[in-house]
Amino acid sequence: MNGVMGVIFASDNENKLNELTIHRTTASLPFCGRYRLIDFTLSNFVNSGITQIGIVTRSNYSSLMDHIRMGRDWDLNRKNGGLSVFPPFVLNSSREMYKGKIEAIYSIQGFIRRSPEDYVLLSNSNIAMNIDFDEVMAAHLAAQADITMLVHKAKTTTSRRLVVEADENEVKDLYISVTPSSEDKLLGLNVYLIKKDLLLSLVEHEYARGHVDFEKDILMKQLGSLKMHPFVVKRHAAIVDDVRTYYNESMKVLDPAVREELFYGDSIIYTKVKDSVPTLYKENACVKNSLIADGCEIDGLVENSILFRGVKVEKGAEVRNSIIMEDGKVMKNGSVCYAITDKNVTVTAGRTISGYESYPVVIVKDKTV
Amino acid sequence: MKSRNKKECVAMLLAGGQGTRLGVLTQDVAKPAVPFGGKYRIIDFPLSNCVNSGIDTIGVLTQYQPFELNQYIGNGQPWDLDRLSGGAYVLPPYVKGKEGEWYKGTANAIYQNINFIDRFNPEYVVVLSGDHIYKMDYDKMLAAHKAKGADCTIAVIGVTLEEASRFGIMNTDKDDRIFEFEEKPKQPKSTNASMGIYVFTWSVLRRYLIDDEADEKSQNDFGKNVIPKMLADGRKLYAYRFRGYWKDVGTISSLWEANMDLLDASSGLNLNDPSWKIYARNSAEPPHFSAGSADIRNSIVSEGAMVLGSVRRSVISHSAYIGLGAVIEDSVIFPDAVIKAGAVVRHAIVAEGAVIGEGAKIGETQKAPVKGEWQIAVVGPGVKIAPSVAVAPAEMVKEDK
Repeated sequence: MNGVMGVIFASDNENKLNELTIHRTTASLPFCGRYRLIDFTLSNFVNSGITQIGIVTRSNYSSLMDHIRMGRDWDLNRKNGGLSVFPPFVLNSSREMYKGKIEAIYSIQGFIRRSPEDYVLLSNSNIAMNIDFDEVMAAHLAAQADITMLVHKAKTTTSRRLVVEADENEVKDLYISVTPSSEDKLLGLNVYLIKKDLLLSLVEHEYARGHVDFEKDILMKQLGSLKMHPFVVKRHAAIVDDVRTYYNESMKVLDPAVREELFYGDSIIYTKVKDSVPTLYKENACVKNSLIADGCEIDGLVENSILFRGVKVEKGAEVRNSIIMEDGKVMKNGSVCYAITDKNVTVTAGRTISGYESYPVVIVKDKTV
Repeated sequence: MKSRNKKECVAMLLAGGQGTRLGVLTQDVAKPAVPFGGKYRIIDFPLSNCVNSGIDTIGVLTQYQPFELNQYIGNGQPWDLDRLSGGAYVLPPYVKGKEGEWYKGTANAIYQNINFIDRFNPEYVVVLSGDHIYKMDYDKMLAAHKAKGADCTIAVIGVTLEEASRFGIMNTDKDDRIFEFEEKPKQPKSTNASMGIYVFTWSVLRRYLIDDEADEKSQNDFGKNVIPKMLADGRKLYAYRFRGYWKDVGTISSLWEANMDLLDASSGLNLNDPSWKIYARNSAEPPHFSAGSADIRNSIVSEGAMVLGSVRRSVISHSAYIGLGAVIEDSVIFPDAVIKAGAVVRHAIVAEGAVIGEGAKIGETQKAPVKGEWQIAVVGPGVKIAPSVAVAPAEMVKEDK
């Protein structure tokens, strides 16, 4: 797909992810044992032939830079195109960070304008899915749409989601919901395909009036005047926008059917290669229904959990319904239940951490319990 | 010769070995490309050793079944060998002038690439083989070579007197200077076995290679011809003593043993070493999944694997599948192999992409090796074993059964 460039917003809903994004952007949030959230969008782009990609960062973007480096792990270290990472400032002269996507796009309009592609795919970085954007482009052209927005069928929760009322061809109404629903609705995935010139003129117009919110100030306002086409993603798509959705979406990946859709679809999902050794199961290991990355050493019990790379679970230790990020350590007879422990957290011998299914506890990076 | 491309040391990795003793495992690939340890291939060890030792220019000499190896090495990026100057070069035999010929022997392989080496105008050349599992700092060996002012330094490892008759043995004086070399001696005089790792002073080796090529009686082999000639000429050859894990994985039994050594903390083979990583081309798979029915102990499991059955003392490579109720014991399961429900695999190697049908029985539990060789059942790459079929210990299955 030569005519499309990609723009990724590295930060959204960071305030709702609390402790998990103290040290990082949403884009670099660890997910599924060895990935960062942005790996999915980057891989989908690359696998769809989109290799001119801009990433607009916000705060704490050093962890993101460390993860993507020059983009080699995604084959994005190119002479033509490749990755461009933009710092979060609206203008060179300003010390202020952008407030919403409109400002973010405005701040990189030069990059967008100079790129040879005619179309732009805009994507938030809090999505994990496996999709071929060629199909999105074909649908966009067939529907003669001005904007194609990706949607999926799901129930609303307490997190802020864009509800899309639409027939097969066209979006009829858009509104934001924060109340849980019992039936499936079409929810926006915050991924949009739009012609470059149209995007720039819309953004310029709203930026001049001090508007910042892409969904509210552009999409909702243009309902009726622009043709918006809903592209329904039928495969699994995870949106992470607070600690609870992070936990729930992580746990869903323990289901083989979900993994099948996420990892064995059209695209290979690439990530930074760390050359860890395979995982070692010792004499007393007992691991059930869990996703285990490389480099772990397990001599205890692990159940319904996700272990990232380099995690150690010592003899007599128990990890249940939890997410243990890279280099975590649960020492002898330690116990972790309904918890998310960030990178390099140590649970010392005999200590117990326990949250609830509806409220998993988060232990911040580098802490020792 | 311009000196802008100069490298102090160039490594030449002999990766053309046919590996006939590995039978069906090397039917379609060269020995160095055989999988090892769940996510590696044998060649990852010398390549990673080079990079970790600060050698960034490596000629990989391929010959037999080179395709998979070429593809695997690619631009050398997984080993950080995609360099502006130096890097990994795959060097197959090629037609020069009017003649083209296969590499006749190890020395001839280097001889045919004299021009390649000369481009880097090195002081030293390290010659390595692609069929050993070990971690070694070649820089230390090079330092010893320089300190002794040697013409050639050969790495040696201590073996038992019984084992010594299977190796090339270096007889040395007190100063580790080699005065005699014996290939597989019936009555060994010492226990210093050659590891097949040589450091040469390039200007000296270059002359010996040219002379050796001119000698029609020569088999053009380092061990048989070049080293004995250098000794006869009174050249300075030294042994470099290596202490640590080293294993020739040229046979099914030794390949299986080396894999099992990964499970044994006392074996000395520890790959989980941040200061000496072994790099490999990554399979880009999600983490492995251990299902509710799985029971894995004393084993290693790599990315993308899916385990529903029981696994004991085994190596499960990336993207392998172990079905419900399947039993894997003391075995090595290569990448993409599928062990279907209820199959039993004991003391076996199941090669890449092989499919073991429901209830099939591969191999049997072994208590001890017979005459030094474990009776390992081997199912070849892509071979399909029908449900309930049995494969005997030490049997090597080449075709669907």
